[in-house]
Amino acid sequence: MKGDYFSFTEQLFNPSAAAEKPEALKQIRVLDLSRIIYGPMVAKWLGMFGAEVIKVEEPEEGDDWRTGTYWGKFWKDSCPYFQSLNPNKYFVTINLKEQKGKELLLEIAKNVDVVIENYRAGLTEAWGIGYTTVSKINPKVIYISCSGYGQYGPLKFYPSYDIVAQSMSGVARGTGFPDRKTYKLPDYYGDFLPALFGAIGVLAALNARERTGKGQYIDMAQSEGLMRVMHNWTYMAQTGDDLGCTGNNDPTMAPSGIFRTRDGKFLAIAVATGKQCVSLLKAMEKAELAEKKEYVETLARLKPENARVLNMLLEEWVASKNENEVIELALKWEFPVGQVMDDEKIVNDDWRRERGSIVDFDDEMYGKGKWAGPAVSLSKTPGRLKWLSRPIGYHNRYIFKTLLGFSDDKIKELEKDGVIGYWDNRVGKRPPEYWNIEKDEIFNYGKGK
Amino acid sequence: MKSSEKSPQVFSKHMTGKKTQEHLANFERLLSEMIDPRPDKTGSLENIRVLEVSSANYPATICASMLGELGAEVLKIEPPEGDPAREVTPYGVNIKGVGLPFLMENRNKRNITMDLSTETGRANLKKLAGGADVLIDAMKPGELDAIEAGYRHLSDVNPSLIYVAVSPFGHFTSKAERCRDIPDSDLTAQAESGFSMLIGDPREPEPYNYPLRAGIWAASYMSGALATAGTLTALLHRNKTGEGQMVDIATNDAISAWQGFSAVWGFTMEQPRVRIGNFDWGLYPYGYYKAKDGYVTVCAALDHDFRGLLKILGRWDLEDDWKFLFDRLTDDPEKLQELETEIEKEIAKYTCDELFRKTFEYGIKATRDKLRSKGFPIVVETKLPHQVVEEKHWQIRKSFQEVDVPGFGKITIPASPPQMSESPMRIKWIKGTIGEDDEEIYAQYGLEK
Repeated sequence: MKGDYFSFTEQLFNPSAAAEKPEALKQIRVLDLSRIIYGPMVAKWLGMFGAEVIKVEEPEEGDDWRTGTYWGKFWKDSCPYFQSLNPNKYFVTINLKEQKGKELLLEIAKNVDVVIENYRAGLTEAWGIGYTTVSKINPKVIYISCSGYGQYGPLKFYPSYDIVAQSMSGVARGTGFPDRKTYKLPDYYGDFLPALFGAIGVLAALNARERTGKGQYIDMAQSEGLMRVMHNWTYMAQTGDDLGCTGNNDPTMAPSGIFRTRDGKFLAIAVATGKQCVSLLKAMEKAELAEKKEYVETLARLKPENARVLNMLLEEWVASKNENEVIELALKWEFPVGQVMDDEKIVNDDWRRERGSIVDFDDEMYGKGKWAGPAVSLSKTPGRLKWLSRPIGYHNRYIFKTLLGFSDDKIKELEKDGVIGYWDNRVGKRPPEYWNIEKDEIFNYGKGK
Repeated sequence: MKSSEKSPQVFSKHMTGKKTQEHLANFERLLSEMIDPRPDKTGSLENIRVLEVSSANYPATICASMLGELGAEVLKIEPPEGDPAREVTPYGVNIKGVGLPFLMENRNKRNITMDLSTETGRANLKKLAGGADVLIDAMKPGELDAIEAGYRHLSDVNPSLIYVAVSPFGHFTSKAERCRDIPDSDLTAQAESGFSMLIGDPREPEPYNYPLRAGIWAASYMSGALATAGTLTALLHRNKTGEGQMVDIATNDAISAWQGFSAVWGFTMEQPRVRIGNFDWGLYPYGYYKAKDGYVTVCAALDHDFRGLLKILGRWDLEDDWKFLFDRLTDDPEKLQELETEIEKEIAKYTCDELFRKTFEYGIKATRDKLRSKGFPIVVETKLPHQVVEEKHWQIRKSFQEVDVPGFGKITIPASPPQMSESPMRIKWIKGTIGEDDEEIYAQYGLEK
């Protein structure tokens, strides 16, 4: 007989020991040409688990999201969103409009395992830095193009953003109450979910390469990522109807909804199985309903007329209880309940801090902050934050010297020719005001040596 | 005119040189091979065996489905009466008693039954796990451990096993232990992630102003995809070291940890966001509008895109007051509503198609402009799912597939993004019957009946 399970897992995962553990993607080098959210998040997954991510930006301008902040909010001259999207990366610049810039890019591409880009379809090919060119000098490369609609098909050149993908995929028309307006999914879900599919593609290709020795090309279409997670198509083919909007009720679970408690809090409750439904009815002291087939058998319970009855009863019941009481009953009777959390509760959540998905992180350049940690816990090779984002061109010298062995003269020449460059004085692109860049050892890496 | 009927050469300026044409021709060749992958191209996880120990837990089921698409051999282990997830389906719509989400996420799996309440069943599970590469634990935290089939027991016998645990609060931390009996559901996970808190409009009457459910399984699919990415990362570590590990996903934290912006707001603003309808937290215009004959999505938040939109709508008079994104902050929704009302009024004058055509033609011209300062405002129809299915673009890309499920007939399901050139994802079969593969699998692995 082994000891208590949770003492065992506590020790197994212990986030405070994470920094000493090995990293799963240690020897993987990634060239990230992407901007905004969708491409950079593919790179973020890889970087969080140990890959060396070289993020290439245009001199002076950089990633558009450096200034894509909310309500004019900058933090120490940086965009907090951008910080969250781009930790653990090396920030170099290359002017891809110059032939010398393309040559420099190919020099790096020779030495990497993965290339990520999210330009419009075919553009990197037209520039001579696409998969067909890179794979000639680096046959083992895995090259992913993250676009709105994929690299072929009549829509391929049309621009895409999160909200556009939500509309083109049909997600947009499913959130809201029947016959009222519909809502978009918040915080750019239409970028974050497809990015995860992109990361899955890259990780799968890395696994395949271990076996076959071959690299490959990956065509990730943002809208297809969203279409993959919708039940509408199967439902439509079966019934001839659109699934429609169902407000706060999940049509696959009954009863289900977001309800207000007596003390004015919001709780989500959603019942998946007959067993859970019987438990809930007992908790509600409505055991007599648990005898009825139409409420216990799941396929019958899900019929709109039966689901409606249960939803109304549940709404009344929750309104008569305080939040705590419902949660205690859920713990006792084992039905799914969730508190409606908000930003402030999330960032201060002890549970998340214990899990390591919220971290108090002290960055060398930006100091203390609270950020999202790895979204998945791996016991032996945990993900981790190592540094936040950096100003435009911050790692130029470091990468060009250590990876390509460039001399000071060579770097100077590239600077003079406008092939590489740095931030201008705009907020979001420059170092924090208090930072003495002249004394920064990484920025000035190997200067004069 | 459907949006798909147009395919202009957006980058014509770059695509005229001989070398460029050569790159693009090579690229076209590669893409044409990707539409119908050669049968000898095997999946990324061809030699990987996965066990899904299922229990009304869709994130786990989705993860197993994705690993199946990637080529793994997946054994779905159900209790003799079947996984209760079989009945979780919109409005109770089913085929011969089996729900649509279940069929949709049973990609490339073999269905076997095992009664884990018996000694024989437990012995069979352990025997299978001894030779498996991945085990997905969808049970309550600690439930498999209690029957000596937890990570610590199985990894003793099979140290290279990757053990993936999927549950609402995870398998470690004090809260996880306290809440271990609360089952998973998509809606409760959306709420716990802070997602629902951001959807909806406070200006609506009760109860339409409540925190709102995203109309897709936003949390379950995010969790399933995270579990897949975690598994693939762990497999890469194993390839180097031979070492397995435990991977833990908390579905209640999936969206908040991967998207990370709740942490960013909580940290920098030290207060939670309140709902602001279809305004975005960072961008304007970036939302849904009513056109003459339907709904459109407008995405023209960058200043030059916004200028373009005003020109197209013939409302240059608004430019002076709302010139910069900084003028269009959504922190004061009432003030911004003044502009919103004007934009609403203009959009309502046109049909969806007119708006698409006007902005598209404008955008393409502007893209060819040397200074690129005229923007590309995007206005697309906010599509209903049945319009998405009709889109020629997705038909060309085979984004929807019809699969014949033996004994159940044909079902339509979304294909598997991303498209990969060397190790394509495939839907090889879908099986619906409980224990359909019992005989074959029990014999193959020498299990006891």
